[in-house]
Amino acid sequence: MSSSTPTPTLRRSVALVWRSLRSMRTALILLLLIALAAVAGSLVPQVSVADARIASIFRDHPLRARIYEQLGLFDVFGSWWFTLLYSLLLVSLAACLLPRTRAFIRNLRTKPTPARELDVLRHYAEVEVPSDPEHAILGARRVLRRRLFRVSGPNGAPSLAADKGIGREGGSLLFHWAFFVLLVGIVWGKGTGFSGQAVVVEGQAWTEAHANFDGTLREGSFFGEDHSGVQIRVEDFKATYRMTGQPQDFVTRAELLNADGTPARQVDIRVNHPAEIDGVKFFQFGYGWAPVIRVERDGVPILDGPVVCQQNAPPEGVSPLQLPWNCVVKLPSLDPDIGIRFELWPDSRALYALLETGQAMPMITEFAPVMTYEAYRGDLRSDLVQSTSILDTTAMQRFDRGVVGAGETKDLGDGLTVSFPDLRQYTVLTVSRDRGLWIVFLAAILVLLGLLPALYTSRRKVWVTAEPEGSGSLLKVGGFALQRRSQFEEEFGKVVRELRRASEEKVGT
Amino acid sequence: MSTASWARLSTDAFSVAFFAYLFAMLASFYYLAFRRKPVWVAAMVATYAGLAAQLISIVARGMAAGRIPLGNMYEYSVFLSFLVVLAYVVFVEGVARVHTVGGFVLAFAVLTMAVAVLFLYVGPEPLVPALNSYWRQIHVSSMILSSSLLAVGCIITILYLVKERRERRLAETIAPIMGGAVDLENAPPHLGVGADEPAAPAPTLRRGLLPPSATLDRLAYRMIAFGFPIWTFGIITGAIWAESAWSRYWGWDPKETWSFITWVIFAGYLHARATSGWKGRRAAVIALVGFVSLLITYYAVNLWIVGLHSYAGVS
Repeated sequence: MSSSTPTPTLRRSVALVWRSLRSMRTALILLLLIALAAVAGSLVPQVSVADARIASIFRDHPLRARIYEQLGLFDVFGSWWFTLLYSLLLVSLAACLLPRTRAFIRNLRTKPTPARELDVLRHYAEVEVPSDPEHAILGARRVLRRRLFRVSGPNGAPSLAADKGIGREGGSLLFHWAFFVLLVGIVWGKGTGFSGQAVVVEGQAWTEAHANFDGTLREGSFFGEDHSGVQIRVEDFKATYRMTGQPQDFVTRAELLNADGTPARQVDIRVNHPAEIDGVKFFQFGYGWAPVIRVERDGVPILDGPVVCQQNAPPEGVSPLQLPWNCVVKLPSLDPDIGIRFELWPDSRALYALLETGQAMPMITEFAPVMTYEAYRGDLRSDLVQSTSILDTTAMQRFDRGVVGAGETKDLGDGLTVSFPDLRQYTVLTVSRDRGLWIVFLAAILVLLGLLPALYTSRRKVWVTAEPEGSGSLLKVGGFALQRRSQFEEEFGKVVRELRRASEEKVGT
Repeated sequence: MSTASWARLSTDAFSVAFFAYLFAMLASFYYLAFRRKPVWVAAMVATYAGLAAQLISIVARGMAAGRIPLGNMYEYSVFLSFLVVLAYVVFVEGVARVHTVGGFVLAFAVLTMAVAVLFLYVGPEPLVPALNSYWRQIHVSSMILSSSLLAVGCIITILYLVKERRERRLAETIAPIMGGAVDLENAPPHLGVGADEPAAPAPTLRRGLLPPSATLDRLAYRMIAFGFPIWTFGIITGAIWAESAWSRYWGWDPKETWSFITWVIFAGYLHARATSGWKGRRAAVIALVGFVSLLITYYAVNLWIVGLHSYAGVS
């Protein structure tokens, strides 16, 4: 920084950056910036948490929305600058900790150093003992050792130095390194993992593979497409509600199978009780109804199997339990195409209540289920509409409508029949893998274990010298504490008392 | 006893506790100002009575709901105010033997209870499946315990800032001669308040009502250093619960985010305490920012920000 310094070379600026990364203040500032980013992330609606609110901002305030989008504010925790802050924090933390750790290890190896003038110390006492200086020092050594002090000396001279409280720096280092490992574990676990949803109808099996996920599959940035191939065969699903309509329990009974198809074990998957196989976890997420629908033409089945129904978002003040379930059947193999739209009422009493009073009652269990249907003929426009749950009727005409109850068959005309032999449920499971889990968990425990000594122990030193006096000797005891001085006062008093007692015992024997 | 009568007992005991704390608060302020020992005794008796009543209220609430009463914001707030008062009795009155700050802590407890009963009250009801987890019970109780410790620490920090400012003013007014200390009690008139100023205030006021700032500072630090690891533990147990309930241990949900922000701020406070030049007033300001963040984590996230924790609120 003197006037003679030439223009900063690359090396110099790298050294400068490294020096500033090494300071604790930089790490703290970076942590604070991450906290500030988190504030923004909690105030601005985030992608995949509040998509509807983001859409409404785009509609009402297009300019603001565009600025937010450019700044990555809709996806703070996935934005490049958050990643940058996070990486800088990791580097800075390591840069901070390395020299500290080196110094700590050096400190562990070196013995406490002797002090000369003890009577200027904050804690000082003199004890007269009957034994000679050499033995008096050995007695003092025993006393301090018993109190778990690290003692060095006597080295020739009748004096010793002792210290205690290595746990403060050691705990602090453990805390910080564990925090570092935790941050790395999060990145590694999320980066190599995935998370998505599986929709499985009772009686069916589902294999963990990319194509089988429902909706978007969130994959980590270094995920190597190494799907496990494990299977889950859902036997049944049961939702229990209280009298008030409040959910009580959701259980998926299933069998887990290894990737080679051999059965592994029987599991009950509940909210809060996931099942795991081969590092892949299955969590209870949701459920729905899947009526078995059979469509025949001239007695030949064209379609026969469970169809997954979905629900629309309920309007304000209406419970989703009061709403019917919608599903669609598309038959592009017929000419012209046939499409049938179904509305399922798992408890037909709700439909009758709706027709009579204008208000459906909540459907908690299956009770004489019925489906209303609307059959269309024409062009399904399959090349335009890929979704299996949307029926595009712009190029179609309705040719029949009606109601089909469970176990019934209805004639649609043209030799077509639709039947509803059975009603099943499907379960929605979140399927995810996070290999960093145990690292994060272990690191979190170490964070806590390091924090306690770092906060609650204190560094303190005690020095003792002995000089001959009369027939015995005079012990001079000095003490010093870096933290918790009032507590050390007490401890120091106890040490002095024990020194006195130790010498008395000596004389007694 | 029936569910309804347990619920009645719970609300009745709540009222008793509320008014006991209110009385204790007023008595504590009176003691702070006039130092009448019997008033302090009365305040402590009322505080203990309030604690007992609140314990009854919490247990009765649990009996009425048929579960551990830590399921919504009302129950959290009741438990929080209980632990705040308990932490004050145990650590401030008991361990540190500081008798003059009770009014402020009780004021916080009374305010928390008032907000709970006015804005957050819901009847005793069973929990939805996602909330039904042992980890959640551990998570919630450690979060509330640490909140109470941090809150008491921060209230004392506010008092520290007030006192420290006053001590600084006094030190400025009376300049020491030759670098030596001045005995304020017996200072000669020419060293006292300037001649053009009004007469010096009474000695009790001169010394101030509150304990010395060093005492307050140490006490506040201890409370926060005690609360911080428990807050850390609470976040960890919360993550364990989130892992089983929502299939991820951390998802930047607003409540998670704000608990992290609060953690960072208090971590900054502890670092500041360990850094020379940042002790005292600067560190205290960080603690205050942490207190604001704590209140946001506790109230604002549930009441105004939509997220997974919103059902823990007033529904």
